[in-house]
Amino acid sequence: MSNSIELTDVGCKSFELRDLSLRVPTGSIYGFLGPNGSGKTTTIRMFMGMMKPDRGEISVLGRAVPKELPRILARVGFVPERPHVYPALSVAEAIRYHSSFYPLWDQSWADELVTRLGLDPARKIARLSKGETGKLLLLLALAQRPDLLVLDEPTDGLDPVVRRDVLTAVLDYVSETSATVFISSHLVHELERICDWVGVLDHGQLVAELPMQSFKNGIKRIRVADAPDVPGDTPFVILGRSQGDAFTSVETWTVRGWQDPMRQYFEGVGATLRDVIDLDLEEGFVELLRSSRPNNHHRS
Amino acid sequence: MYQPMLFVHWKQARLLLVPFVVAAFGLPLMVVQGLGSGPEGGAVAMNAYLMVNGYQTWLPMFPLLAAGVGAVIALTAWNWDHQQSHVYALSLPLARWEYVMLKMGAGVALVLVPGVALWLGAHVAAASVELPAGFQMYPNQLALRFVLASLVAYALLFSLASGTIKTTVWIVTGVILFFFVGDAVSTGLGTVIPFFRDYNIATEAAKWFVSVGGPFEVFTGNWTLIDV
Repeated sequence: MSNSIELTDVGCKSFELRDLSLRVPTGSIYGFLGPNGSGKTTTIRMFMGMMKPDRGEISVLGRAVPKELPRILARVGFVPERPHVYPALSVAEAIRYHSSFYPLWDQSWADELVTRLGLDPARKIARLSKGETGKLLLLLALAQRPDLLVLDEPTDGLDPVVRRDVLTAVLDYVSETSATVFISSHLVHELERICDWVGVLDHGQLVAELPMQSFKNGIKRIRVADAPDVPGDTPFVILGRSQGDAFTSVETWTVRGWQDPMRQYFEGVGATLRDVIDLDLEEGFVELLRSSRPNNHHRS
Repeated sequence: MYQPMLFVHWKQARLLLVPFVVAAFGLPLMVVQGLGSGPEGGAVAMNAYLMVNGYQTWLPMFPLLAAGVGAVIALTAWNWDHQQSHVYALSLPLARWEYVMLKMGAGVALVLVPGVALWLGAHVAAASVELPAGFQMYPNQLALRFVLASLVAYALLFSLASGTIKTTVWIVTGVILFFFVGDAVSTGLGTVIPFFRDYNIATEAAKWFVSVGGPFEVFTGNWTLIDV
């Protein structure tokens, strides 16, 4: 499987990215999750060539960053965290300006998107609402017909209707072109619906990177009676352990990589598996972050 | 790509440029204004004394105006990019030097707008006076000098404004320090070495900047609208 974005051991002292390695499979919708300040935007700026890493290698769409940056950026649609278009331009002027840089610009589709997203071409960008600005940025990114869409918190602060419009436009584009989408967000539920891969970043380190289905199905909360003090070589990853009340010997474990045949492990260590509870993505995300932090105590 | 870049720069600079364009057109007229009435109420008959006085009163305004034009166009070139932390510019599929050159080129075209206004004003002024014998009007030369001076100011400030505030502060501090240290060193050496009693490094450097062949010579040269 080829990758649209590849970061290998990328580090940056000033922004605390620590040997970050990341693979975004071509054709995937890759959700990049992480709490505020975890380094998501910094990572994006690195592979978009806006910041130079201290070490490591980056390639986007099979080309090296920053060496072949202009050729890469001609095929990348980018929606940044904060609006970046010139505020004194009107919507139509911004579209005209932007289109002049992209050889594959699709003007008829841009016109269609203006109508579909309900944008007024004569309106100044400075007077657009947050939702309208978000729609304009997406329009600019989509109408250049990119092979890779990079969306940095694209729906942050938008109302549910606009959010739906924006995500629908992205999904329509992907279904039509099979483009790769890299979407960063801290809104877990939003990514759960649309992504097929997920990467979780915390404190500049990639905590997990796996298909969304594995992530959703693999993180469970299990209740274990007579659990061993030292779990030994488990077939799953224990993210956290907490004891029940003082009168029972039932512990609650949060585990990653769970599959049903792993129940046998408990028989082998003399414990009893009482219950397996599904976690939604947000709970799984929170547990994953807790387990990755240095001050995490496995047994509370 | 150049045309949209020029349009964006124009959009940003146009309101600030209006007073400069008006001033550029009006300044040559001010030079010849109020120097007496012509016998037929048309062209103004000037005598040499009034002409030289009028000319010298307005002389410093031309380089100042040119510097102002350069400053406005240079600062507006980067203003929006700075506000957006250059994210938009850096996401465009252009090499950085290419983007800078396009932006620089757009500014050069804008410098021509007040330049043309001054050229027109100078021609109108030339047509409205009757010169004493031996004197001539130089509207084209004045306009050319104005455009060149504006370009020098623009180029200098464009390069300063393209960097971060930190870089700009470093450069400006470096230049100021050079003059202070140069002056102090020359004064100190003057007490020991006789040569430095008449030679000050800072003063000589300043002279070089504005003398023939120096980068700012265009500002201090002869701003000639009327001359022999």
